[in-house]
Amino acid sequence: MSHDESLDTTPMQSENLKSELLTLNMGPQHPATHGVLRVEIKTDSEIIAEATPHLGYLHRCMEKHCEHLDYRGIIPFVDRMDYLAAMSMEWGYCLTIEKMLGTEVPRRAQYIRTMVAELQRVASHLMFYGTYAIDLGAFSPFLYAFQERETILRIFEELSGARLLYNYIWLGGVWNDMTDDHLRRIAAFCDRMDGELEKYHTLVGMNKIFRDRTANVGVLTAEDCYSYGATGPILRASGVDWDLRKTRPYGIYQELDFESIVGTGEMGTLGDCWDRYYVRMKEMNESLKIIRQCLEGIEEGPIQGKVSKIVKVPAGEIYMRTECPRGELGYHLISDGGKIPYRLKVKSSCFTHTAMLSHMAPGQMIADFVASIGSIDIVLGEVDR
Amino acid sequence: MHNELVTLLNSKANGCDATTAEVECGDQPIFVEAAHINAALKALKESTYEFNVLQLITGCDFEDRIEISYILASFTKNHEVIIKTKLAKPSSDAILDIDSVCDLWLAAGFLERETYDMFGVRFNGNPDLRRILCPDDWEGWPLRKDYVVQEKYKHMLVNPQNKINTDDLYFFDRQKKEAAEPKLWSGSWKKPEFPAEVEAKGEK
Repeated sequence: MSHDESLDTTPMQSENLKSELLTLNMGPQHPATHGVLRVEIKTDSEIIAEATPHLGYLHRCMEKHCEHLDYRGIIPFVDRMDYLAAMSMEWGYCLTIEKMLGTEVPRRAQYIRTMVAELQRVASHLMFYGTYAIDLGAFSPFLYAFQERETILRIFEELSGARLLYNYIWLGGVWNDMTDDHLRRIAAFCDRMDGELEKYHTLVGMNKIFRDRTANVGVLTAEDCYSYGATGPILRASGVDWDLRKTRPYGIYQELDFESIVGTGEMGTLGDCWDRYYVRMKEMNESLKIIRQCLEGIEEGPIQGKVSKIVKVPAGEIYMRTECPRGELGYHLISDGGKIPYRLKVKSSCFTHTAMLSHMAPGQMIADFVASIGSIDIVLGEVDR
Repeated sequence: MHNELVTLLNSKANGCDATTAEVECGDQPIFVEAAHINAALKALKESTYEFNVLQLITGCDFEDRIEISYILASFTKNHEVIIKTKLAKPSSDAILDIDSVCDLWLAAGFLERETYDMFGVRFNGNPDLRRILCPDDWEGWPLRKDYVVQEKYKHMLVNPQNKINTDDLYFFDRQKKEAAEPKLWSGSWKKPEFPAEVEAKGEK
C-alpha cells in the first residue's frame, strides 16, 4: 500500500458536517446581565438564533404588599424597585398621590425635588457608563464613574441618612431641608463634572475598540420602539424626540431651559448601541444644566405642604407617568376611598425593555448580545418588582 | 376627548358598547365589552388619534369580576386613555378568558403574561402564554384578593413557622378587625397555630 492511498483525501465539506443548535444559559448569575436575569439562548456556532429572557428571580411581590400598606408606608417600598434611581421612583409615586389629593407642593420643595432627581439621573447614568465599559472589556472607566457617583451619594447621605434607598421625598414635600452647604457642594460638583464628562467621553466613546463593538450593533428602529413600548433614552436614541419632562411637564420642568437629546446615528445606524450610549452621556450635561438653574432659582420657604395625618385618597383611578433615568415610570392607582390603595400597578420601563432582547438577539454574535443587554441598561429590581 | 372616543369606538367596532362617565377626580376610563376588545383597540390604533403605544395591561380583582385595564398612549399626538373591560367571575377560582392584542402591539406579549400570572386571565391568541414572575408550576393567582399562599412548593415548606414575622400577622389581623370591609385585607398568609405564649404576646 502506497503512502498516498492510506490517507482519505476527500476534502471536508461543510454541508457534510452535522450541526445542531446549542442551548446556552446566560445567567442568572452572569456578570454581564446586571443582576439576576436569565437568558436562554440557542446558538448556531457563535451566532444566536433565538433568545428567551426568563424573569422572576428577584420578584418580591411589591404590588401585593402595597395593597396592605397605608399611602405613606409605600414610599420605602417603591425605593426598592429601581435601587439605582430611588429618588425618581419616590417622586413618581408622590406625584401620583398628590394629584389625587390635590396637594400644593411648596416652591422650595419643588426645586429640591428637581435637583435630587437630576442628581440621581447623573448617578444612574454614571453607573451605566461604568458597567457598560466593563461589559465591553474596559475596567478603568468604572473607577472614574464611581469616584464621581460617590460625591452624589455623599450629598444624598447627608440629606436623607441613606446612601441607596432614601425615603426622602414625602407626600407634599421633602423630609429634610437643604442647607447652604449642600447647595455649595452641589454647585462645586456641577463645575467639576463638566470637565469630567468630556474626559469620560474621550476615554470610552472615542475609543476605536468601543466604537467597533457598539456601532451598528443592536439596532432598534422607531417602529420597533413604538411596538414594544420602549421609552426613555432607548426611544430617543432611535430618533424620536419624546421626553416627558418636555412633552408632559410635571413639577417645575416647564420653567426650566434644557434640551431633549435625540440620537443621530453619527457612528453607524440610527438606534444602535453607540447612540444609546451617547444619548445618556449628553443627558448628563442637560441634567447639570437643570441643576444649575435650580441652584439659581431656589427660593426660601417651607419644604412640606399640607397633608392630613391619615392619608385617604378619594375613590377613583389615575395613571401618572414620569421620566426616570431608565425610561417612563407609570403608576396606575385604583382607590376605593380608604386608607390603603385598592390596587397599585407599576408600569416599569425595564420590564418592557427586557422583551426587546428576544427581538435584538437573532443574528447577533454572543459578544454583541452582551453589548445589547448592557445598552438597554436594565435593573432587575424594577423588572421583577 | 372621551366622548369623541366613545362615538368612534361605537361606530368602528361593532357591538363593543363603549361607555364613559364623568369622574370627580383622577382619570376617566372608557368601558368596553370584553368580547370586542381586540376590535376596539384596533380601531383606536388606526384612528386619527394615533394611539401608537400600548403602555400597560393590568387587572384589578373585585368580588364578582376582574377588570382589565389597557392604557394606550400616543407619542405623536401626545395623549393617553384608559380602556377598561369587565370579566364576570362565575366562581372564585375560575380562570377567565379574553382575546389577546399581541397582533397589534408586541409589547402585549409580556404584559399579558404578567396579567395571566397574577390574575389567572387567559389571553387567547398570545403565542407564549406562560407564567412570567412566578415559577411555572406555582399554584393560585397571587393578586386576587382571596389568594392564600400554598403550603408546600415541591419539597419545600413555603412558610416555615420559625421564619414568619408574627408582628405582621397580628398587624393584619388587627387591621381586618378594624376595617369596615375585611375582604380588602387579604393578608395572603395562612395564620398558623402558635403556642399560647406567642399568641399572648401578639394580642397586646
